[in-house]
Amino acid sequence: MNTGSLLAADLVIAVLAAAGWLGGGAASAARRRPLALGLAGLALLATLARAITITALARAGWWFAAEKVVIAAPLSLAGVVVAGTRLLRVPGDIRSVAVPMLFAGYAGSGALLVTLLHGYPASAGVGLLAVAGIVAATAVSWRILSPRPSRTLSRAATVVAVAALVAGTGLLVPGATPAAPHDHRYQDASTVGEPTRRFTLTAGTATVRVSGRDVAAWAFNGQVPGPELTATVGDVLAVTLRNRDIARGVTLHWHGYDVPNSQDGVPGVTQAAVLPGQEFVYRFRAGQAGTYWYHTHAVSDVGVRKGLYGALVVRPAPVTGVDVTVPVHTLAGEPLPAPRVEPVEAGEPVRLRLINTDSTTHRYALAGTPFRVAAIDGYELRGPTPLVDTAVLIPAGGRYDLVFTAPATPVALFVDGRAVYSTGPMSAATDGWPVLDPLGYGVGSPAPWSRFDRKFTLVLDRGLDLRGLLPRYAHTVNGATDPDIPPHAVRLGDIVRFTIVNRSMVVHPWHLHGHHVLVLSHNRQPATGSPLWLDSFDVRPGDVWEVAFRADNPGMWANHCHNLAHTGMTLHLMYS
Amino acid sequence: MRKAFVVVSTLLLVAFVLQFVFAAVGAFTKPAGEGTYVLHSVTGTVVIPVLTLLTVLFAALAKAPGRLIGLAFLPLGLVVLQALIAMLANASTDAAGVSTPFGLAIAGLHALNGIIAVHVVVAVLQAARKLAHPAPAGVTEVTVPQRGLA
Repeated sequence: MNTGSLLAADLVIAVLAAAGWLGGGAASAARRRPLALGLAGLALLATLARAITITALARAGWWFAAEKVVIAAPLSLAGVVVAGTRLLRVPGDIRSVAVPMLFAGYAGSGALLVTLLHGYPASAGVGLLAVAGIVAATAVSWRILSPRPSRTLSRAATVVAVAALVAGTGLLVPGATPAAPHDHRYQDASTVGEPTRRFTLTAGTATVRVSGRDVAAWAFNGQVPGPELTATVGDVLAVTLRNRDIARGVTLHWHGYDVPNSQDGVPGVTQAAVLPGQEFVYRFRAGQAGTYWYHTHAVSDVGVRKGLYGALVVRPAPVTGVDVTVPVHTLAGEPLPAPRVEPVEAGEPVRLRLINTDSTTHRYALAGTPFRVAAIDGYELRGPTPLVDTAVLIPAGGRYDLVFTAPATPVALFVDGRAVYSTGPMSAATDGWPVLDPLGYGVGSPAPWSRFDRKFTLVLDRGLDLRGLLPRYAHTVNGATDPDIPPHAVRLGDIVRFTIVNRSMVVHPWHLHGHHVLVLSHNRQPATGSPLWLDSFDVRPGDVWEVAFRADNPGMWANHCHNLAHTGMTLHLMYS
Repeated sequence: MRKAFVVVSTLLLVAFVLQFVFAAVGAFTKPAGEGTYVLHSVTGTVVIPVLTLLTVLFAALAKAPGRLIGLAFLPLGLVVLQALIAMLANASTDAAGVSTPFGLAIAGLHALNGIIAVHVVVAVLQAARKLAHPAPAGVTEVTVPQRGLA
């Protein structure tokens, strides 16, 4: 069982335990003896099972179990002790065990709410609030259920509940929030020489035709995707961005292209959003070959989804053979690009540049030929071996380059089962194909670093965010949401290691701006294949990724989840 | 206070009815996107829990019997369970994010739990009305027997 399933199973068992105690308490209050005892048995069993799941989670990583060990375990134990000792001496009137069982139920529910609403890191304040709630609920039940509650006990309960409430709230009231790293003195464009490739992208609302349907979109130059920008290594690009009528502003972010900070296109961090009627010129040298893409980073959630994106391809030399870019997107529910059939002469080398511009993972399967994965996220792999009948999963924002020599028979690329590109009529069932694990693909080489100057951990979770008008069940990093997540400070030249942990039940495609990270390990399995330099990788529920990079690109960089709807999961990497 | 108890539990029932409406709105919104179920999730995570707590509060203030207070509390537990079921169903996909039969089976529980919760609220409302208008002596009242907490 993987850690993600373990997290889900633990949650289900916790619900069963709490429901068992609460139901048992209610049944005994209604004097339904067999039912009450049966539910108590269920609750005890579930609590026991939970000891196993919590231990297993703690072994998988402390992050997964912290609040369960520190808060849920003592509370559950107290519940079992109180209810259990009363149950061992079952009195004539089953009603007298109602309050102890309800207490155990409140304790279990309180612990469950701590996991669901607060999560990681466990804090004394939250634990105290849970205690306050449990004591208050127990006291109220007691008053209702027993004809004459003891006065001293009532008073003691009130004192404990109020003290826990006050202390818990006191501990939780946030101190000074870290200074938001939004520096409004944007740096000037670096001098990179005279442009050799000039492009103009005009953002505007447009109606585009997708799968025979007119769709209201936001588009660059009236088309979705925007024009494919191509360059050869050594070119200097000058891209003029104009905004015709996107009221919320646009920018250009070069996804995976490690440009100087001032050209990174993050509104409020590296530049101001380009408003209607304004323009901004991006200039950078194309120093690295590979498959990349560009997209707006202003209200990126809406903007990218509605069509403000396009491919950026930098080639080491002029094109030889067949070179096809396949940017996959979902526009207004319709899949892009439209299927394309193009005969290719046998023996011709083909390179398919697969891009996932959506917010969720896609599955790509190339049928009809052996192929190699030549590059991931723009970086060439070392010694890729031929693959047959193998699918690849590309995370949101990620790119894979597949290469093969065209056979005499047709070849087809399927994305989630839909043929997107083919060299002739072909059908294939690709659903059952195994998925490539890039960590063991290609030829390994020793890690370039053995020690790290900075180590940071990012724990991804969900939690209650009370800063807005309405409480939000937000996606969090280390228990906070943007702009309250403290930035990570590094110095130029530092070797930095990130450990990224997902406690939530949602996939988070992680994306650091301005740098490619080298994968060290995934779920404790060291990367043994070709060095993987990624800019986008899926952190699945229960996953632990260890990645590292050299801090060699000064500035203020966004470090965020590329499921763009998870807007709160943004923090910054800051050079000091 | 007994009148207030009736009013709040009526509001809770209305919120539940709207919740079913919003579920249908989400299911039939085209194209489906992140915001498809926003009304449903706001009602489920904010409106219904708040109204449930108010119902419990007014039940206590109206000096309702403990059994009824407990019954008024039950929807809160069921709503938390409801959110959990939704979360688990959404999480039970394959690596490419496609629903699995297991996930859909869990999703089915979301509907069943919703039906149970609405029945509990109806029972609370009936009991609240009975509390506000006690049957005059001599009149035999015919009501469906309540199952209570079991």
